Amino acid sequence: MGMNPTWLALQFPHLALDLLTRGNGRPRDLPLAVSDGDARRPVILDTNPAASRLGIRPGLPVSAALSLAGALQVSARDTAAEHAALDRLAAWSYQYSSAVSVLAPRHTLLLETGGSERLLGDSESLARQLSADLLDLGYHARAGTGPTPEAAQLAARRGLHFASLDALREALRTLPLHALLLDDAQCAALEKMGFRHAREVLRLPRKALARRLGTDAVTYLDRLCGRRPDPQTHWRLPECFRSGMDLPAEIANSQGLLFPLRRLVDELCGVLRACDRGVQSVSVHLRLRRGEERFDLAFQQPGRDEAHIMQLLKERLERFRLPQPAQHVALEAGRFLEFEAGATGLFVDPDDPSSNPLEPLLERLRARLGQESVTGLRGVEDHRPEYSWSRRRLEEPADCQSMPHRPVWLFPRPKRCRIEDYRVLAGPERIESGWWDGRDCRRDYFVVRDREGSTLWAYREYKPRPGWYLHGLFG
Amino acid sequence: MPSTLPDALHHPLLWQGGRRHHRLPTLSTGHERLDQALPGGGWPLGALTELLVARDGVGELSLLLPTLAEVCRQGGWAVFVDPPWTPYPPAMRGHGIDLARVLVVDTRDAKESLWACEQALRGVRGGVVLSWLRGGRHQAGFTHLRRLQLAARSGRKGAFLFRPAEVAGQATPAAMRLHLAADEQDLCLTVLKARGLHNGAQLRLRRPHASTALATGGAEAPGGLAGRRRRANTLERDAAGTTPAGRA
Repeated sequence: MGMNPTWLALQFPHLALDLLTRGNGRPRDLPLAVSDGDARRPVILDTNPAASRLGIRPGLPVSAALSLAGALQVSARDTAAEHAALDRLAAWSYQYSSAVSVLAPRHTLLLETGGSERLLGDSESLARQLSADLLDLGYHARAGTGPTPEAAQLAARRGLHFASLDALREALRTLPLHALLLDDAQCAALEKMGFRHAREVLRLPRKALARRLGTDAVTYLDRLCGRRPDPQTHWRLPECFRSGMDLPAEIANSQGLLFPLRRLVDELCGVLRACDRGVQSVSVHLRLRRGEERFDLAFQQPGRDEAHIMQLLKERLERFRLPQPAQHVALEAGRFLEFEAGATGLFVDPDDPSSNPLEPLLERLRARLGQESVTGLRGVEDHRPEYSWSRRRLEEPADCQSMPHRPVWLFPRPKRCRIEDYRVLAGPERIESGWWDGRDCRRDYFVVRDREGSTLWAYREYKPRPGWYLHGLFG
Repeated sequence: MPSTLPDALHHPLLWQGGRRHHRLPTLSTGHERLDQALPGGGWPLGALTELLVARDGVGELSLLLPTLAEVCRQGGWAVFVDPPWTPYPPAMRGHGIDLARVLVVDTRDAKESLWACEQALRGVRGGVVLSWLRGGRHQAGFTHLRRLQLAARSGRKGAFLFRPAEVAGQATPAAMRLHLAADEQDLCLTVLKARGLHNGAQLRLRRPHASTALATGGAEAPGGLAGRRRRANTLERDAAGTTPAGRA
């Protein structure tokens, strides 16, 4: 085996439309189309199956399309969004190859797979796997492999796999002229000259070809056949993530957001795996019919497990009410962090207490009930019972003084009482303190019982508010 | 090696025809007489225990403190879900509970309360969950409790639900349901449901601050729930099998 790199090309023939439809759960009956071109005379660029069933074809003027199908939803393509999507997809596919290039005008990603082949199986099955995974993310991709970048791109458009230059040359004998990635003008010129097959073009003298079609075409053919190097600009890994999608059918019920969010989370986790990073928080941004909405989700540790993040989102959405139907949903992860494998709890032995972490439970509870919903307790150095404890964050120490004779329940604030209604069982315990911080007080505490048999903790305050109070319960 | 047939036959998960009650794993209550009286020698582990409290302040939480202290000592978690008041840290500490192992979960309504309880039960393996379900007497139906029971089993938890005495008439999937009431001297536990015990069986534990406490002039530690000389050494069977649920 030589060190010949193998190239895998992913081409996205419906990228503009995918960006429009991937927020939809299942293929719907809603006819959708993307338009392109002059704002005054836009034409249809691409359609979903529902629209093409109505006779809407690419190239049709939008006005004509709308008169054919009144229910058709047409959106203008968003080139910036397409490029952003390609960048994200490059990040995502980095998990399969350490050398990824983005060829934006062709809506293509190029992966060098020679290096990772042994790890991931042969290029052909990798290509199949990638197409399937991308479809799960809502993107239609055509994949092909070849010995040169151009060969891979040619292969992708036809679903072919060329194992070697010989195999490529063999295939080029039967492929039509249009299989070559020449531009429209060049193809038209060649057709005019009577050429129909790729092999005829390849047989032409290079000088003649350069004269008639320009040097670009010669360079292309040389690169295709490996006669000239074709250096690629490697794409660089991101340090944050933001991806969003329009929702062609507005979503009114927060549960309906789960489907588009799953795609976004899958995409994020793919990017994170690719970078070998994790995130400790994500935020969901919603554009509503009127206004916007946003919520954040925090994790105990940097993570990238789709199922785990989805579980937390699901619990969050269960108590989230959409004030308005949502039209756009985006997922953002601000900062990628070091990811520690094993900290995910994926491979824990459930019976080993050391690998039986509390974190998943904490995250679930906090995702649904809020950050403040889970706390610990600790003692505070203060003689006054109401100041002698506090809630604590779990990472804070739990130091506490020991007072076994005190009641197990403390009322959040003392309640005034009539001491005649109670019988004293024990006491007094004198508590006097607080002059140094202005909460000066003097009290005598007693254990008392009410007529129904409950044991309570009562005190007589001398200052600052003289009287009898109940402060706790011997539950 | 526990591979002999007689050993295998004593496995707690093996159900044997003819043996009425297979043994459940249990947690010691920390009260010797109570351990002797309860099936399996303690609180059910991996199953629900319902404590129907006639009135707050009879010693219902103190009853569990020895168990909590032991669980925390062994590194388990004690999770309080929706406690009605603050579990007062110096008192908890005074009963030997390691506060580093105590979690308090607060929810806003009955639905969240049930959910949080179930999560806590399913969550970390082992330990105990103490839950005061929100929503009064309509807090949880049989199906809800059934979910909690399953969660307790999957999490191998000691699972204690503190519930109002009015729910005594409702069916329950819990392994044990006790009614807690108090008179001047004793905390009185009445069995409403427990595998292997007759319904209506009673056990008395001396209350802290029993009336003698005043005479000696000092408060007894609530942890010292000692069995009372005269009555507590036996389980008194209520011959009629009636329950005192409506009492107190």
